[in-house]
Amino acid sequence: MNFVTNLLLATVRMAIPILFIAIGEMYSERAGMVNIGLEGLAAIGSLVGFLMCFITGSTWLGIFCGALVGIAVNMIYAFATINLCANHTVYGMAINIFAPALASFIYRVYFGKGSDLSQITLMKGLGIPGLKNIPLVGELLFNQTPMVYLAFLLVIFTAVFFRRTRSGLNYRAVGENPKAAATLGINVIGVKYLSCVICGALAGIGGAYLTTCYSNTYTEGNIAGRGFIALAAVIFGRWSAGGILLACLFFGFCDALQIRLQVAGLGIPYQFFQMIPFAATILALTLIGGRKLGPKAAGKPYRKEER
Amino acid sequence: MKKWLASGLICVMCASLVTPAAAEAKDYKVAMICDSSINDGGWGAACYNAMVDACEKNGWTYEVSDSIGQNEYYDSIAAYCSLGYDMIYAPGNQYTDAVLQAAEEYPDIAFALLNGGEGTPAQAVNGNVTSLLPNATQIGWIAGALAGLMTESGTIAFIGGMELDTTKAKYAGYSEAAAFVGEAEGKTVTCIDPPYAGSFDASDKGIEFAKALIDNGADVFFGDASAVDSGARQAIDEANKAAGEIRIFDIGQPADILGQNECIICSQVTDNSAMISTSMQAVENGTFGGEVIYGTLQNGALSAGALSDLVPEDVQAKYKEYLQQMIDDTFMK
Repeated sequence: MNFVTNLLLATVRMAIPILFIAIGEMYSERAGMVNIGLEGLAAIGSLVGFLMCFITGSTWLGIFCGALVGIAVNMIYAFATINLCANHTVYGMAINIFAPALASFIYRVYFGKGSDLSQITLMKGLGIPGLKNIPLVGELLFNQTPMVYLAFLLVIFTAVFFRRTRSGLNYRAVGENPKAAATLGINVIGVKYLSCVICGALAGIGGAYLTTCYSNTYTEGNIAGRGFIALAAVIFGRWSAGGILLACLFFGFCDALQIRLQVAGLGIPYQFFQMIPFAATILALTLIGGRKLGPKAAGKPYRKEER
Repeated sequence: MKKWLASGLICVMCASLVTPAAAEAKDYKVAMICDSSINDGGWGAACYNAMVDACEKNGWTYEVSDSIGQNEYYDSIAAYCSLGYDMIYAPGNQYTDAVLQAAEEYPDIAFALLNGGEGTPAQAVNGNVTSLLPNATQIGWIAGALAGLMTESGTIAFIGGMELDTTKAKYAGYSEAAAFVGEAEGKTVTCIDPPYAGSFDASDKGIEFAKALIDNGADVFFGDASAVDSGARQAIDEANKAAGEIRIFDIGQPADILGQNECIICSQVTDNSAMISTSMQAVENGTFGGEVIYGTLQNGALSAGALSDLVPEDVQAKYKEYLQQMIDDTFMK
């Protein structure tokens, strides 16, 4: 395998957890819920996913429980922002502080102060017969874990849902003008809660992916800013599923590139390569993020009785 | 009756006040701070276990705060100082600034800085800092000699967490020893420039580094990156599994972790426990501070762990000869 193939494979590996989280955020923002607590949701999902997999040996159960705990923690944000009309940013940050600390606490309670390295068996790859042998594309798209296929299917489903269905249109209306949506009989509060359920689940899955499909150990801080990168990916991807997929692949590519260049022996200080993902993010957001394309009611409290 | 009882209590209280404090056995306490996890299967775990061993040997009690961020170094140390801990154990060069700051503010507390600089104790205005300094070059030699013997591709790799002086010294020792031994075996051995994860927690970076290094032909790995190394070992095991045989190897550190992963053929072992124990005894004797406690092959603080069956017997014999040369100070001379 050559440099390009390996680089693209690494790109996919590094993009998938961000993709799950970013798609979750898209569902949230499309309903007017700007949830910046993704880092925390992914952190708790990562720990619970690892723990469940460690206890039961089932990666699928790990993923499922990661989603459940993501939903549970996100309900704090949902209740505070939807029912109490609290500030989205404040509660998002609260989740970012609370959830990783909770994950750390649970880990300590379960594993104690021992120094043994706990490892799990990762989800096995599922090559699609015939297709996986296609040069480059086969290895890239058809010889991955089922979660990678699920991520790509999620992108297609999300794109169709928001663009081609009445339900998707109603959902978007909540994020654009909730009062108008309410006059049309749309259950605004219900949609907002649904968005938090989806966002919590997908962010939790994104975190659980890291510990059940990617790395066989759990370390505190393993989310490493992916929640914030996912936020940037939603803006960079212009709140569309396809755009977010491209944005995630772009961020994954930049990170994969800096790693590959570091070991290429080019004689350039490694700090220069480590800068690439950050420089590319700033550049991309400067070029793309200038125009406001997001939902118009994003981050604004919805009060039913208010004129 | 009440008067007699009250008088008796007053007598007991007065007696307790005049009893010499020295007569009571002091309960010594040590606190460790660490930016990596103590479950990382590498640096953090080894340093924690060394402290636990030293505490059991000397009858001290201990506490640990792990996975702390860089902005928490000083606050964590200061918190333990405020709680009356006798010694702060900071396993890493990166804690130097925080340790020196706290050492100035808490003159009665001892600070043991593992991998501290040789000049660091002299910088402490209160003379309450001691550097525990394993010889990083010798650590690199121990791993590098085996890498030079075991590599078939002639390309070896080193993964760093942060670009610390000790990490750079380990890399330099590793690459020079591998090149020297390789040349003696009739092969050219080169070490790829070390990639740095920028953290000790990013096991995912370790996975990607290892995959990239394997693609570049590396077949023996060594690292100084805690959980990043664990990620690298995962990737090496996966590559070996895909190949159907174990042809890519890893050398662990700083504890003997043979058996933790299939790819590990040996470990460079640092007996941090002995150095911490020496520090504890100095605290008890009131002689702590202002010195550098060295850890070398010669004084037994550094050694090679058990060798895997993957290392052929003739290679094992050659390796032991090289280790003896290192102890005799004749290696590469």
